[in-house]
Amino acid sequence: MTRQDIEKEVRRIFLVEFEVENPEMDVNLREAYGFDSIDAIELLLEIEKFLNSELTQSEKKKAMDIRTMRQIIDYIEMLAEKRKALPEKE
Amino acid sequence: MERRVVITACSAISPIGHSKREIVESLCKGISGVKTLPEDELIGRFIHSRVYGTVNYPIAYDFKRQHRKTMGPVAYYACQVAKEVLQQAQLPESFVTGGRLGIAFGSIHGSPTVQRDIYKIIFGAKDKAAYQNIGAVDYLKSMVHTTAVNISKMFGITGRIISSGTACTTASQSIGYGYEAVKYGLQDAMLCGGADEYDTITVAVFDNLLACSTSFNDRPDQTPRPFDQARDGLVVAEGAGAVLLEDYESARKRGAPILAEVIGFACNSNGGDLILPNLEGITKTLQLGLENAKLNASDVDLISAHATATKMGDIIEAQATGSVFGLHPQVVALKSYMGHTMAACGGIETVLCLYMMQEGFIAPTLHLENVDERCSMIRHVQNLLEQKFTTVAIQNFAFGGVNTSLLIRKLT
Repeated sequence: MTRQDIEKEVRRIFLVEFEVENPEMDVNLREAYGFDSIDAIELLLEIEKFLNSELTQSEKKKAMDIRTMRQIIDYIEMLAEKRKALPEKE
Repeated sequence: MERRVVITACSAISPIGHSKREIVESLCKGISGVKTLPEDELIGRFIHSRVYGTVNYPIAYDFKRQHRKTMGPVAYYACQVAKEVLQQAQLPESFVTGGRLGIAFGSIHGSPTVQRDIYKIIFGAKDKAAYQNIGAVDYLKSMVHTTAVNISKMFGITGRIISSGTACTTASQSIGYGYEAVKYGLQDAMLCGGADEYDTITVAVFDNLLACSTSFNDRPDQTPRPFDQARDGLVVAEGAGAVLLEDYESARKRGAPILAEVIGFACNSNGGDLILPNLEGITKTLQLGLENAKLNASDVDLISAHATATKMGDIIEAQATGSVFGLHPQVVALKSYMGHTMAACGGIETVLCLYMMQEGFIAPTLHLENVDERCSMIRHVQNLLEQKFTTVAIQNFAFGGVNTSLLIRKLT
């Protein structure tokens, strides 16, 4: 899974689930698109489906500081790499 | 401190129309909103009663995604009538968000459509992954106070929230408690009402109690028949009704159009059986309503009866109404046009009374061809009356033994 794959999927999720077309990479999502706590929870569910893997409570807590598209993509990349290294744990 | 409380805006989504024009036309022409029960792909096909008061016309919602995501169908109805009420009222934005406007709004059990989807997931679950399909917003869409809080979110209203969920008295309690909140200075205005969406759970409950109409399945527009000899039960329906209540002095100062004054409210409980209508409890509510409004029975021109068209309910209501009001006030059963909109009924019936008050007519009880002699101690309206009137008592009684009486009067 490349970073491009992840970005493509995140953009798809934003379009389909949050009706946000081509969000900018470094803007504050709440301020620019009204992305709120309910959306964040929905996004975590979508990420779990995308990775085909349940997120741990500590992983979910790490997502609380995310504010931008770039941070979402970084976050998913980190999760994906972790799962690649330790597939049996998930 | 006791303040006068007035209604400055109203709106309804009902089986007989959405706009005032459509609703007034249906009332004047005797057009029923009862249709065949829509299928729900679960229990609908087993229900004996095949009739339903359906909102089967398109509504042009324009809610933003941020609001839509926490709304089930019941909240769509509620937010639409709330939006129309706020548009009519033209309250300043600073007042709407300032904390002196509150909300009293409810439904009988949130959104059954969303609950059905959750049940499908739960009972269809084959592995742990299935639970992920229960979304984070499903509770927000289906919870019992979903109407009130979605209204507060959509319009940034920050005052009190009252979310009654007392079945058929939900909206009338909302208006009554909203009235008291303004009357006693707890809020300066209250957006009040109730809503319910298409739901076969409620139909099944009444069907199993043999309380639903079943004899007119092939002629839905001939039922329900309140007070008529041929009545055979209630017809469940959907819809929403809302009013804006304001402190009279504030409304007058800002030049708001005043539709009517709320002059009294009473609510009590039967303190016993949760299903059977209770003559003593209902009679007491009607008396308390008059006392609260400081009226004599002869001051009331029109009674909007709860009158669901059940065998016993109509008789008990007629007896209670007759004993308190005698034969003076006209009595109309508005559910005859659309069925029983459950949580919304007190709100919709209030809106319809306001429309009739404005237009100077009293609609007849539809299908009331042969009055049941056990219901004959009140003055039934059987033909359209072109008649101005001033004072109305709106009666509602709920499962659980809750009774309300709301009195409104044209400002003269």
